[in-house]
Amino acid sequence: MIEVKEPKKELPLVGTLKAMWIVGKHIFQKPVTTQYPEERKPMPDRFRFRIFLSLDDCVGCTLCEQVCPNLSIHMNKVERENPRNKRKIYPDVNFGTCTVCRNCEEICPTDAIYLTHVFETSRTRNSFTYSPDELSLSEDEVIK
Amino acid sequence: MDVLTRLAHFFAPLTHYVAYILAYLFESIFLVIFVTIVLVFMIYLFRKYMARVQLRIGPNRVGKFGLLQLMADGLKLAGKESILPKGRDDLPFRIAPLIVFIGLVMSFAILPYGDFYWIGSLTITHSNVSVILLFAAIAIMPIGEILAGVSSRNKYAILGALRGVAKDVSFEVPMMISVIALVMMASARTSEPLNLSDLVSSQIIPFGIPEVIGLLVFFISMIARASYSPFDMGESDSELVSGHSTEYSGMRFGMFYMGLFGSIFLSSMMVSLLYLGGYNGPFSSDAGFVYLLIKTVVLVLIAFTVWLSVPRIRIDRFVNMGWKYLLPISIINLIIAGIITLGVGL
Repeated sequence: MIEVKEPKKELPLVGTLKAMWIVGKHIFQKPVTTQYPEERKPMPDRFRFRIFLSLDDCVGCTLCEQVCPNLSIHMNKVERENPRNKRKIYPDVNFGTCTVCRNCEEICPTDAIYLTHVFETSRTRNSFTYSPDELSLSEDEVIK
Repeated sequence: MDVLTRLAHFFAPLTHYVAYILAYLFESIFLVIFVTIVLVFMIYLFRKYMARVQLRIGPNRVGKFGLLQLMADGLKLAGKESILPKGRDDLPFRIAPLIVFIGLVMSFAILPYGDFYWIGSLTITHSNVSVILLFAAIAIMPIGEILAGVSSRNKYAILGALRGVAKDVSFEVPMMISVIALVMMASARTSEPLNLSDLVSSQIIPFGIPEVIGLLVFFISMIARASYSPFDMGESDSELVSGHSTEYSGMRFGMFYMGLFGSIFLSSMMVSLLYLGGYNGPFSSDAGFVYLLIKTVVLVLIAFTVWLSVPRIRIDRFVNMGWKYLLPISIINLIIAGIITLGVGL
């Protein structure tokens, strides 16, 4: 059986004064707020979000499409000369459903698809799908 | 030379009566501007202070250091629709916020402010009984709150108003008794102890030092008068939606909000005038207003610390506290004041 301890009896107002002292001390502490767009907290080294596609390396094997658990990846036809990709199919990614499981990066036989540390991919349009061309560009160029 | 005579001299080319009427008018306008500046400063200070205590930054986007945040909020409130509930009692519902605000401005008009360099005395009301006038004026504000609660035909509002009445009844008697002790102490030195200016100038050592108990009782009463956190049963935020001001919106709600912050400043100013020497300071007597402001702001910060650290007390416990503890303590304080007045002659 657990014994419940009675709280210590104190003089009236002592607890109030203690609370005021603790609250007053916080004035001299630094605020913990990070004002996001201007200040950023340092990212962990292994943080990854944005998927990047190297069009020259992609062989169109569709492994990434098959391994994607959320069906975020679909293969698209892109007219582009690449001797290693005869079918001319490349993956596009829907970031609205991507959970960053990194299966596609792991399965890719040529390391064409991989994840980068960029995470600011917010869009004003409703479509979160990145076409193969957009996947191969950096985020600034995509926004343009 | 005070503000009124200066203004009257300025308007002297007009006839005597017109000059004085204009002088009174402009002095009232200056007072309202002063109250508005105080309110803006108080709300800004509170938001910044609360943010720093909670390890946040506070308003910092609108204007430099967020100084214009309150302007933005005021514009937002003024632009909002003021919703009137269907079952309201129309006239009391409309005038209740005005009563709160007018009570606040009247109380500010009665306080003595001391001297300020070349302007001279800033005191507006010169009355022989200004202590009584002051406490009559600060008793106006709860009337507005009670009217608001009763007239909006809302269960929460009525409960808030009832709690407000219970609170007001239980702390006013100890408050007045502790003020009577002050008047008694002042009567040893001046022939007009009910005149606030005389009462303040007669404090060679501040009354708060011989009357620590009275200071405590009065400070607690002033917290209850301004009705913030330990004693905010009238509002009971999150328990009775927001008490008497539940049904109010837009600028009408803004007036209750301003009344709250204004009465915190007012109560701090009253404590500093009555107990901490007011505008008496160590060096130049010209800077009386500055001393008063410094004392007031320190008290305001203490008040905010109380607000942010102490949880709300239950209404029955507050009524118990008022009648069973504060009242006997204030009577003991009165006896001590009598002994000091007769025996020591401070």
